[in-house]
Amino acid sequence: MVQIVIRGSVDGCSPPQWLLVELQGEMVSRHNSGLAGNVMGDLLYTKEGVPVLIVGHHILYGKLVKLEKPFAIPMETDHQGLTSTSYTVSALIKQKLIFKTRPKPIITNVPKKV
Amino acid sequence: MRTLEEVQATLQIAKLNEEDLNPTIHCLSFGENVSSADYCLMELDDTLCKHIEAGQSLVIRGDKDERAVLCSCDKTYDLRIANTSNLLLFVPGCKTPDQLPITQDRACVVHAEIWGFCNSYWEPRKQRPKLKKLKKLLMENPYAGVPLAGQEESKENRYTMQDLLERIQASEEEIKNHLVTIHACQIDGCWCGLDFDYEMKLLSHVTQLVDSESWSFNKVPLQTSLEELAPLEPREMIEHCLNCYGRRYTDKGEVFYALHEDKVCRGLALMLLQNAVKFNLKEFQEVWQQSVPEGMSTRLEQLKGVVLVDRASSPETISLLKVEDLPEDTLERFNLLFTLREKWTEEDITTYIQDLCGEKQTTGALLTKFARSSLQNGIKVFNSRRPVAT
Repeated sequence: MVQIVIRGSVDGCSPPQWLLVELQGEMVSRHNSGLAGNVMGDLLYTKEGVPVLIVGHHILYGKLVKLEKPFAIPMETDHQGLTSTSYTVSALIKQKLIFKTRPKPIITNVPKKV
Repeated sequence: MRTLEEVQATLQIAKLNEEDLNPTIHCLSFGENVSSADYCLMELDDTLCKHIEAGQSLVIRGDKDERAVLCSCDKTYDLRIANTSNLLLFVPGCKTPDQLPITQDRACVVHAEIWGFCNSYWEPRKQRPKLKKLKKLLMENPYAGVPLAGQEESKENRYTMQDLLERIQASEEEIKNHLVTIHACQIDGCWCGLDFDYEMKLLSHVTQLVDSESWSFNKVPLQTSLEELAPLEPREMIEHCLNCYGRRYTDKGEVFYALHEDKVCRGLALMLLQNAVKFNLKEFQEVWQQSVPEGMSTRLEQLKGVVLVDRASSPETISLLKVEDLPEDTLERFNLLFTLREKWTEEDITTYIQDLCGEKQTTGALLTKFARSSLQNGIKVFNSRRPVAT
């Protein structure tokens, strides 16, 4: 039988906290060049704390939500020669920014009235 | 990398007023090595989260043909994959509004890299540990007493705790508790079961000694017991028997055991029923009461989950039916129960399906799903939903 250990941390401390950004739909790169290395967008907050995301020519309004059940991100541990597989929780996610509303298009060229 | 000017230009085009915004702007981009396959998210309930934050470990256990389970030190969870149509991005360097400085005059850009993304995550769900295999393993080579002269005791198929952790889909604590429940014993560091007839032999030695010495069954002296019974059986086994059937305590420096009435009565009942298919209920109750130590009372309630009483037959009968011998799979269990008896009262069948209930599941829910109810002589009875050969 297989036993895979998932360790809470390497040094006994609590794992760092990351943020989750949840989007509806799919993310595609403009020139089909793949996502790696590319800019995704700008994330801002209004003074009331509402998150706003500008992706390409879309603008999305979202919400900061505390997760009912946090997520852990286990990553394979660097084992330097050991044969058994083990993972360490690299981060915990307790909150997310969720963008559920329909993206609004940003119109950059408004044709002038003749 | 985008500059502040570029970001401010975007804001202008988007018709967002800088005055309404927090001056810190996160510019998100995908890391060079980002891809969705490498990372998995695992949802954690409150208990698991606290475990991880305390630096403790979890273990995934499973054979190639088994469903994987996740174990903490004392609980077992079923692991399933949940899918979402939404895209989940994980961003290490991103701050929430309450983490940003409130007062800041100038706008600034923070570059945050998206570490990974996915559409699915692991969802652990608490479940009853799969412990039936534990008894099966430990009964491969149970201890049955000192081997006869000339014969060597076989040490094969005896398992250390480490061996058990590698074979049983349950947490360490659940395994340890079950070892106590099934009266397993440790010999030379390895766990094995106790042969039933041998266990009854040990119990009989103890109960007969208690009667012949006229001791109160609540105050059985360890030392004297060991001395009196040492010629018959190894001391460790006598002590093991006392541990299984009694509670150890010290009085004025001397160790005593208070024998557990229910456990002793149940053990002796099992011994009587072991070799018979069915027993006449009345006769059984008489013989049973006579076999228990002076001062103990037998009650049918003590045998819940190990015997089946047939009050419909004439004369009434009793036979052995142990919950622990029944299949672990819910459907198989119900099929077997209905093969043994066509119609069950709610009280009787509940005893034999109680352990199947998952978290927040009731026996009522199981009965609704797997059985059909009807009224017989004014009493609600349950039978199978499909034709079963009896």
